[in-house]
Order: sequence, then C-alpha cells, then structure tokens
Amino acid sequence: MRVNPNMVPDILADLQQSQNTLNTTLQEVSTGKSVNVPSDNPEASAEMVGNTMETANVDQYTQNVTGVLSTVQSADSALGSVVTALTQAVSLGTEGANGTSNAADQQSIATQIQGILSSVVSSANTDYNGVYLFGGTASTAPPYAADSSSPTGYTYNGNSDTNSVAVGDDLNVQVNLPGSQIFSNSSTSVLGSLTSLISALQSGNTTAISSATNDVSSALNYVSQQRVFYGNAETQLNSQETYLQQETVSLTSQQNSLVGVDEAQAATELSQAETDNSATLAAAAKVLPNTLLNYLEPPS
Amino acid sequence: MGGLTTSLLTGMQALDATQAALDATSNNISNANTPGYTREVAQFSENEEGVSGDSVTGGGVTLDGIASVRDELLNLQIQQQTSEQSSANTQNSLLQQIQNYFTSNGEDLATTLGAFSSSLAQLSANPSNSAVQQSVYSAAQNLVGSFNNTANGLTTAQSDADQQVTQTVAQINSLTQQIAQLNSQLTPSVVATQNGGTIEDQRDQLVQQLSTLTGISVTQSSDGEVITTGNGTPLVMGSQSYNLQTTTGTDGFQQVLDSSGNNITSSIQGGQLGGAIQMRDQTIPGYLSSLNTLASQFATSMNAAQAQGFDSTGSKGQPFFSVPANPSYGAAAGIALAITSGSQIASSSDGTSGSNGNVANLSAVLTNNLPSGQTPANAYSNLVFQVGNDTSNSSAQSSAIGQSLLQLTNQQSSVSGVSVDEETTNLIRYQTAYEAAARIVSTIQALSTVTLDMGASQSY
Repeated sequence: MRVNPNMVPDILADLQQSQNTLNTTLQEVSTGKSVNVPSDNPEASAEMVGNTMETANVDQYTQNVTGVLSTVQSADSALGSVVTALTQAVSLGTEGANGTSNAADQQSIATQIQGILSSVVSSANTDYNGVYLFGGTASTAPPYAADSSSPTGYTYNGNSDTNSVAVGDDLNVQVNLPGSQIFSNSSTSVLGSLTSLISALQSGNTTAISSATNDVSSALNYVSQQRVFYGNAETQLNSQETYLQQETVSLTSQQNSLVGVDEAQAATELSQAETDNSATLAAAAKVLPNTLLNYLEPPS
Repeated sequence: MGGLTTSLLTGMQALDATQAALDATSNNISNANTPGYTREVAQFSENEEGVSGDSVTGGGVTLDGIASVRDELLNLQIQQQTSEQSSANTQNSLLQQIQNYFTSNGEDLATTLGAFSSSLAQLSANPSNSAVQQSVYSAAQNLVGSFNNTANGLTTAQSDADQQVTQTVAQINSLTQQIAQLNSQLTPSVVATQNGGTIEDQRDQLVQQLSTLTGISVTQSSDGEVITTGNGTPLVMGSQSYNLQTTTGTDGFQQVLDSSGNNITSSIQGGQLGGAIQMRDQTIPGYLSSLNTLASQFATSMNAAQAQGFDSTGSKGQPFFSVPANPSYGAAAGIALAITSGSQIASSSDGTSGSNGNVANLSAVLTNNLPSGQTPANAYSNLVFQVGNDTSNSSAQSSAIGQSLLQLTNQQSSVSGVSVDEETTNLIRYQTAYEAAARIVSTIQALSTVTLDMGASQSY
C-alpha cells in the first residue's frame, strides 16, 4: 500500500495537541484553578454555584452571630444589673419590714427603692446601637415611658413580638424577650412589685411591706429565670459560631477540590507538557526537511 | 514487415510518451503543496503488434492519457465528517461565547444570588438599619442585572447564529453556482477521454468547502454530479444549481427555503448552517426557557413573600420584582426591581420597623423549592451544568471527528498526495527512458545514413 507522503497535517495536529496541553497546564499553574469556564468541568462548575451561595451565606451568618451575640450579651448584662438591683430591693424591703425600722427609716428605704425602680426602668430601656432590647419588635423607641396615670408610674410602649435572626440555613435564634414579659408581666411584675413596695414603705404597714418584699423576691426569681433565656441564646450562638467556622473551612476545601489545582501535580504536568512539546518540535524538525533529493548527486 | 522507418516511429512514440510522463511528473512536483491537488500519472499501453507472415513486430507505446488518482469514496467520507465537525465547531464557538455568562466572574447569577441571600441574612440581624436595607436593595439590583445580562448574552448569541444562517446561505449559493459551472465543463465525454484533472480537483475543493457549510449528499448521475442537502433538497444537478433562500419567520429569525419556496429550516443538519440553526432554534431557546422560568418563579415567590410582611413605614409589602407580562419578551431579560428603595423591603411581620419576622419568608424563597421543584440555586446550577456540558461535548465531538478526519485525509493523501521522493524517482526513470528513446532515434538516423551511403558507394 502506498504510504501517505504528506506528513505535515499529522505533524501539525501533534504540535497543536501538545501546544494545547502546554497552554492548559500553564494556565492551571498560573491561575491555581483547574476550572476556569464551565466546560472545563461541568459537574464541578454546577456544584460551585451552591458553594458560592453557601460561602456568601456562611460569611453573613458568622457576622450575624457576632452581632447578635453582642446584643444578647448586653441584654444579659442589663438583666444582670436588674437582678442585682432587685436583690438589693429585697434586702431593703426585709429591713423595712423589720420591727426595728421606724417610719423615717422606712421613708428613706422607700426613696432608695424609688432609685432602684428608676435603675430597673433604665435597664429595661437599654439599647444596643439604637435598637431597644426589651421593646419586643417595637425597638426604635424606649419601651418604658413615665406615665403618672399608670399604677406602676410607667407604661410599656413596646409589643409582645420577638425577632429570630438567621444564623444558619435552618437555624434562626430568637434574640429578644419583650419587656412586657420580663418586667411588666401581669402575674409577676417587676415594676409593679417595686411600686407596691414603695407605697407599702411609705404607708409604714409592716405586713404590706413584708408581702410586697415577697412579691419583689418572686419577681427576682422570675427575672433570673428569664435571664436563662439569654444564657441559652449565648450558648447556642457560641456553638453555632464554632459550627460556622468549620463550615467555612469545609466550604473552602470543597472549593479547592472542585476548581483548585494540586500544585505539585500541576507542576509535574506542566513539565511533562514542556518535554512533550519539545520532543514533538524536535521530531518535526528532523523529519520534515528530508527528501530523496538530499541524497542524490547533483546533476553534472 | 518492419523497417527502419517503423523503428523510427516506435522511437518517436516512446519520446512522446516519456515526454508526457515527464510533464505529469513535473506538474506533480510543482503542485506538491497545492491544496486539493490530486497527483497525476501518465498511463501507457502497448500498441498492437504488427504481424507479417511469421514475424511479429512490436507496435510501440501509446499514451492513453494522464489520469488523476482519486478515491471518490474517501472524498465522500471526508465531506460527511467535515460537515459534522464544522457543525460542532460552529456550536462550540457560540457556546464558548455563552458560557462566559455562566462563569464565576463576580457578576454571574451564582455570585449575585449569593450576595442577595447573604444581604437578607444581614437584614435579619439588623431589620431597622437603613444602611442594611439599602444594601439588600443594591444586592437585588445586582441580581436583576445578572438576570438581564445573562439573558442578553444568550439572545446576542442567538442573533449571531441567525446572522450566520443568512451569511452561510449566501455562501452556499455562491458555491453551488460555481460547482454547476464546473460540472458543465465536465461532460461525460471529457471525463472519459482526458480525465477531468484540474477541473475535477477544483470541483472537489468546492464540494469540500460546501460540506463545511452544510451537510450534503453527493451522487453521480448520467447528467454529472448531483448534490443535495442531507434531507434531499437539490443544490446542484449537473450544470444546474438551485439557490436556497432566506425569509424572516414568525419568530423574527431567518428561515431557510429551498428553490421552490418550501421551508426546510428544521431538516438542515451538519455544517455551519446546521450548527447555527441547532443553536438558534434548539440549544439557546432551551437555556433561555430555563432562565426565564427561574426569573419568573423567583420574582413571583419573592413578591408573595413580600406581600406577607410590612415595610419599614408599616405599609403592607409591595411587589419586590416586576417581570414583563408579555411572554415573548423573556422574564429574565425583563425582570426589574419594583421597589424603589431599601425602606420598601417588607422585613417586618407585625408592622413595626424593628421586626424581622418576614425576612425569614424572603430568605425562604432562596432556600425552598420554587414551583419548578428546585431551589433557585439548584435551578441555576443545573443550567450551568447544561451549558458547561454542551460546550465540553461539542469540543470533544469536534476533536474526535478531527482525529478521524485526520486519518481519512491521511488515507486520501496516501492515494492522491504527491510524494516528492516518488516523483524524483520517476524523474530519474523517465529521464533514462527519454535518453534511451532519443538514442533509438539517433541510432536509426545513423543506420539510415549508413544505408543511404551504401547506395552512394554502389554508384561508383
């Protein structure tokens, strides 16, 4: 059979092939990415869509956790000062109910309790970056405002709604308790019990003082119980933060395995492609110019 | 009975024949690198011997002609594969253009969907912060921009394909006219006596070019070569060519009509024309429809979620996105923001600006299944896979056909290609033959002189 005399197309195809491999490997090494366009690896590119979205979300969830954690911590510390204030009120109330206290003592205690009431109200009006922590979702204005017509002297302007912040795809953490639940609840009202204690002290009725002190004491217990909510939220947020950190790491490693290159392997492939390319070029240079004419005697 | 004259004649014939062989060889060498050139060989046959009584004298050599060495079957296979490769190449170059819109580049849908989703998560933590509301608004703007961009990228590629259809049809018509012209010179008698040679080479080249434009089928009939499209629409019959025409269809794209006005668009396969039609009428509309479904379902779901809440002024949530009502203008190309500022985002579930209760409903659109049964990210990711897969398939197909085409052209070249070594050898062979034939003539001449001298000496 006659042999194809024209080696040029074959050699050109080989050269193109090796040049192409060289370009691909060079690009991989220089960009550090094995997938630059979807056709490089359709499956990986499709999976990267999810990875891109999830990475953006996890970044934001992490920021949310940090932000929410500060909010929750300030709410917790506000409640901490309420607990301290109430503890002080209970001991003052107990002192006032004691038979050794005279009317003047009781009046002075009443004034102190009045101060405690103001500090509790001020804690209940705590804001964090302009967001009032105990107003429910009506968080743009202080929830408690002085109101002489109210039996406690204050009205609640907030609402009873709560917010849950997204800190994971399927995890929303409730970040607030409305003040109406903590401070002015109908059964165990912090503000109500303090107000009753003040009026009992002012009236000097020991039995009433003692009973009002008991109410403050149960309000103290109630607030301590409510405070557990913030403690739990902190724990939950801290563990979510750890989870999100792991998630960030695993998303990054997924991204690397989907579209990244193994540097060592890419470098090896690049040097292989270089060798292959020079071999092809050398072979082409040897083969192409050879014809019978090189060996014929020139005509005399 | 032979004589010196007979020998002289035989020598002359040998000179003529060898001269023709040298012509063929020199023509082969000069066209060694001419594309489409088919090597020629001089064909000799021996003449009938002269019989005179008992003695038989050789009749010398006759030059039958110079034949081109070609393999029609190989040519057919090459044409067919060329059409397929050219179709794959056309699709691949359009797909390469398209896939840029699906590449992670900061403006692609995956990035902007992710940014929108994370901005909503941020809003969840800071529902009443107007800067955060505004950042959700700009993330939504970018998202809308990505939808518009991607859809525009697809429709641009589609109209590029459409232009290619018009241009390719014009090229096809020009080629078929030239082929018919050459066919008219290649009457059966020409082919039988002197072999088409150059004209056939030219025609093969043109047919080869035609096969890159569209899938064709070539047959030989009594009228000469007959070329039809893959589905049988005649393009060339002997010396007659049939022009294809284009006309604007109801979808605004060019439809291909045969010479009698029948619409043959959907039956055209292979070549640039087939590839462009496939992309324009099948592949790209498929992508566009997925993208439009995603855009319209996403907008509808977001608007429904928005309607469940209240914006920062306490008003009931207004539609977030708007999509064009006219279905012929795609949802992805026409999706726009219906709200005009971040304060209109309905994050509140109870009407107070501090509530984030409805943000979860807005976010849920991104994590829950749309009516299509897929989350927005999954729907988009499927589209990315489809585009990537189609692109990589078309280039794989093109290089696979390229391999087999290379083998076929190698085979063709092994039949028809000029080997300089072979021609050099032939040159030496024919040179020797020519010298020998010339020697016959000179010898006969010498003998004739001797014979004539013999007569002269008798006269003394």
